[in-house]
Amino acid sequence: MRLTRRAFWLLPLLALPLPLVLNQYYQYVVNLILVYVLVGVGFNIVVGNLGQLAFSNVAFFGIGAYASAILTTKLGMPWWLTVIPAGLIGALAGCAASIPALRGVRLFYLAIMTLAFGELMRWSYIRTPVLTGGSMGLSVPPAEVLGWTLTRDDQKFYVFLFIVVVVVVCTNRILESRIGRAFQAIKNDEKAAAAMAIATSRYFLLAFALSGFVVGIGGAMYAALVGHLSPEAFDLVQLIQQFAIIMVGGLGSLAGSVLGAILITATPEIFRDWPGFEELMFGVVIVLVIMFLPRGLVSLLARIHPVFKDRFYQDD
Amino acid sequence: MLALLPQLLVSGIAIGMLYALIALSMTILYRATTVVNFGHGDLVMVAAYLLTIFAVNATLPFVPALLLSVAVLFAFGFLLHRAFIWPIIRGPHLSLAMMAIAVGYSVRGLVRLEYGQEAVRMPRPFAEKIFFVNNVVITLDEIAFCVVVLVMLVASYVVFSKTRFGRIVQAMFQTQRGASLVGINVMQYNNVIWGVGCALGALGGVLLGLILILDPDVGAWTLLRGFAAMTLGGFGSLHGAVVGGLLIGVLEKVLGTYVSTAFIDITCYLVIIVVLLIRPRGLFGQHATLRV
Repeated sequence: MRLTRRAFWLLPLLALPLPLVLNQYYQYVVNLILVYVLVGVGFNIVVGNLGQLAFSNVAFFGIGAYASAILTTKLGMPWWLTVIPAGLIGALAGCAASIPALRGVRLFYLAIMTLAFGELMRWSYIRTPVLTGGSMGLSVPPAEVLGWTLTRDDQKFYVFLFIVVVVVVCTNRILESRIGRAFQAIKNDEKAAAAMAIATSRYFLLAFALSGFVVGIGGAMYAALVGHLSPEAFDLVQLIQQFAIIMVGGLGSLAGSVLGAILITATPEIFRDWPGFEELMFGVVIVLVIMFLPRGLVSLLARIHPVFKDRFYQDD
Repeated sequence: MLALLPQLLVSGIAIGMLYALIALSMTILYRATTVVNFGHGDLVMVAAYLLTIFAVNATLPFVPALLLSVAVLFAFGFLLHRAFIWPIIRGPHLSLAMMAIAVGYSVRGLVRLEYGQEAVRMPRPFAEKIFFVNNVVITLDEIAFCVVVLVMLVASYVVFSKTRFGRIVQAMFQTQRGASLVGINVMQYNNVIWGVGCALGALGGVLLGLILILDPDVGAWTLLRGFAAMTLGGFGSLHGAVVGGLLIGVLEKVLGTYVSTAFIDITCYLVIIVVLLIRPRGLFGQHATLRV
């Protein structure tokens, strides 16, 4: 039987009966993996596909999460109606984060600037207690979908799975279109891309906005999952975790983001009791991946079967 | 209100000296290898911990402990470049940045694993002392900051502009391939430069340990202030790093007092963002961005 990319549709179908076999805790971890799938997919758009060194992803994640939480607690909106607004606000943050890139800031400069942006956002969660509850954090009421209240994690699972499938499929369509090709061209050589009449700044804006949108939705799901947001959740440990997801999975690969999210999210849960262990582990894992597997684990899978290769897969 | 200004200037300049030293050590790395070390803050942080270990656990006197931790950091920088940076130096910038970050995080994780729960205070080489000059308070620490940083600034100026070593580094900054074509062992010189940069950073970490309770997260705090100083002064410029550091130190104090205490935390973020948006090459930098 020839394996085609349609086989990926089996993955969510296979995941459907998971709640039957998982206990409460594992169900929570699986839900967290779904959140991080979106975080990884969104992050990979800017870093992997567009090839830019941007650290603003944690900021998009936090902005999406707080946007959803504030809309539910302060405006009384049901959670499911806040998902798209959270994504849009994330996209807006993405546009803001792309301004330096549009002004010609690249490479390390962009990295430093987006790092500053992320830290500034974390500072503002702490310093605007009226909206975000400050350093005490913000409690979020149970998520509500079409009048139903999601109290158990297995109920959240099906909603999350639906959202993740829709967003990942849409992202895939975008990345395999003309837009994805333009991202790849910019990544390979920005000047050459501009010479080929690709409007580079428009695609920069688009990539950051798309990234912010996807990650913002992930943030809304995170808010619904954990029920309590605190600024520490969006700190620099979060940043290295998100980097580990895309580096380990595979830069510029949708399948890689999913794979990385599964592997990286599942492991630290075991080590929560030793502070510092997560940082050490992610650090060492990233060093090893860069040294020995620069295209991530998905490149190993691609060696087994080309179905894991991305449509515009190219060696650096 | 204005009566406070001289005091603010003095303490701003003193803390700015510290930022300047950290920015200087990062600039030295950048000048030689055109790689920005995103893990630098964590190496600065670990130097203060190392000194504490040598001085308290191994009961060494302060000066040998200081020399030992600077030497360890030199070796660390040397090996970091040799083992992790050089093999991928031709690779994409993203991998280089991620490599430095990942090494920094590993170091931070190790320190947190060991000292995460306790507040560690670095031993002091001299008792705290305060001087009054016309109602302006100056601490002995602040004087030590200024002396150490000025000596280091002069030393690095002499080394980088007057010696053969400095000219070789300048050649490598302009073009690594050209430098290797005329017979410069680029890898070995880069190893040494990374060692020197980390050793200078270690000195900064020790100065930092005088005024802060040690915490694994000090690294990120330091890194962003170092970046702010480098950005403001202009990437790659030695005197720019120092001027930038001093300006950031003074700005933090002045804005923090006259506008809002919030500025003590966010001045460095705002400086980075505003400078890169308005004048990406900073005060003294040359080419900063790639434009299409």
